[in-house]
Amino acid sequence: MDPAYLAEITEYIAMGMGVTLKVFGVTLLFSIPLGILCALGKLSSFRIIHAVLGVYTWIFRGTPLLLQLFFTYYGLPIITGGAIQLGPEVAAYITFVFNYGAYFTEIFRAGIQSIGRGQYEASKALGMSPWETMRRIILPQAVKVILPPLGNESINLIKDTALCSVIAVTEILKNAKRIMSRDFDITALVIAALIYLALTFIVIQVFRHLEKRYSYYSIK
Amino acid sequence: MKVVTTENLHKRFGKLEVLKGIDLSVESGKIISIIGPSGSGKSTLLRCLNHLEVADFGSIKIDDEYICEADEHGKAVYKSGKEVLRICSRLGMVFQNFNLFPHKSVIENLMEAPIVVKGESKEAAMEKAEKLLEKVGLSEKRDAYPGQLSGGQQQRVAIARALAMDPEIMLFDEPTSALDPELIGEVLKVIKDLAEEKMTMIIVTHEMNFAREISDKVLFMDDGDIIAEGPPKEIFENPDHPRIITFLDKIIQKS
Ligand SMILES: Nc1ncnc2c1ncn2[C@@H]1O[C@H](COP(=O)(O)OP(=O)(O)OP(=O)(O)O)[C@@H](O)[C@H]1O
Ligand SMILES: [Mg+2]
Repeated sequence: MDPAYLAEITEYIAMGMGVTLKVFGVTLLFSIPLGILCALGKLSSFRIIHAVLGVYTWIFRGTPLLLQLFFTYYGLPIITGGAIQLGPEVAAYITFVFNYGAYFTEIFRAGIQSIGRGQYEASKALGMSPWETMRRIILPQAVKVILPPLGNESINLIKDTALCSVIAVTEILKNAKRIMSRDFDITALVIAALIYLALTFIVIQVFRHLEKRYSYYSIK
Repeated sequence: MKVVTTENLHKRFGKLEVLKGIDLSVESGKIISIIGPSGSGKSTLLRCLNHLEVADFGSIKIDDEYICEADEHGKAVYKSGKEVLRICSRLGMVFQNFNLFPHKSVIENLMEAPIVVKGESKEAAMEKAEKLLEKVGLSEKRDAYPGQLSGGQQQRVAIARALAMDPEIMLFDEPTSALDPELIGEVLKVIKDLAEEKMTMIIVTHEMNFAREISDKVLFMDDGDIIAEGPPKEIFENPDHPRIITFLDKIIQKS
């Protein structure tokens, strides 16, 4: 195999990595706070908020991400008569943030609920307000519970970014596919696979490190 | 001086009436033990005092400030959440299951509330925390995490953590019930030390010998009512109420 050819297509495919990482980073950056807020909303005692959040998580977890991408990119301009016409990348960011936010809502809700009533009662008996209790006692403990599923979702996210190729976002898979059709050769696909493997490997390592950092105590 | 007063305190969980009009009054510096069969409402009474449960009827007064007051129909009307929190901060509470913060070291457990709630400086909080750890005999566990401690040690930390808020009154809900028998003594000793310092305490306990030895007054609760109260001698040696006699007999048979 020609090393010059390899270098050329690797460089081209890797150019797509920038967008992949951007979608990954933007999604985590916004969907995590969104998930925390929605989880707190789901745990609050406001009926209307429950109902709204229930519909939100149901829709985004109950339909394919691919369909949601189509909807934001192709659907929105149609139903708004062209008033909303998002660029492919922006459409990807928005869809991914809301989609992952829905999953994170459920993960955070479960994590917060896993902390026993005794922790709330002890905090209250010590005079801490509900907000201080949440911030200083409950959430830090919930993080330990949340990290493993959060790691899983982050790995999924790396792979899901490939879906953006269908709405003309030039990420890794899109570039690989272009070369594949141009040269009628699957080397490009193998290279794309290796890049995804490298990225997910890094994510796995990061989460392994984080989980280790939280292993300093055990919940008895 | 009366530091805790309740009048006609009622609490129900759904259809179950758990407190049926409790009149309680605790003098400063006194030690009150609450005994009685399981499900009689002992924990619920204690938990109403520091607002872990919300009473339905009646009033609760700490020192001379009401946290809830009966309206014309007797219904308990509470002050604002902030006010209640402020007044209840004079009460320290120790739970059966310790409820230490597992993600914080022993010293951090003690420093948390003084810093966050009282706004104490880190240095002042640490100094006080170290003194308290010495008092409960756990100075060397300062940097350990709760999960690394025995039950008895955890409960002593929990007592120190409550004391770190400088409470006027300490509430204990079966502080030794979750402990192996050999660990009970170390916790009772800490409570006895507090008694010597004239700390006002309300203690729910199944340790009859301890209650008899330490209390100024023993309350016997049954089915949501205080059916007898008096000095420990009276309650334990000349119980006149049949319910108390059966209860004490059962306890003696068990041990
Ligand atoms: N949050 C709650 N919801 C419903 N019922 C409750 C709740 N807390 C307590 N109860 C019920 O109220 C009654 C009194 O409970 P409480 O815990 O005060 O009893 P206790 O005297 O402390 O008993 P024990 O000695 O077993 O601790 C029990 O029948 C209990 O099942
Ligand atoms: Mg109880």
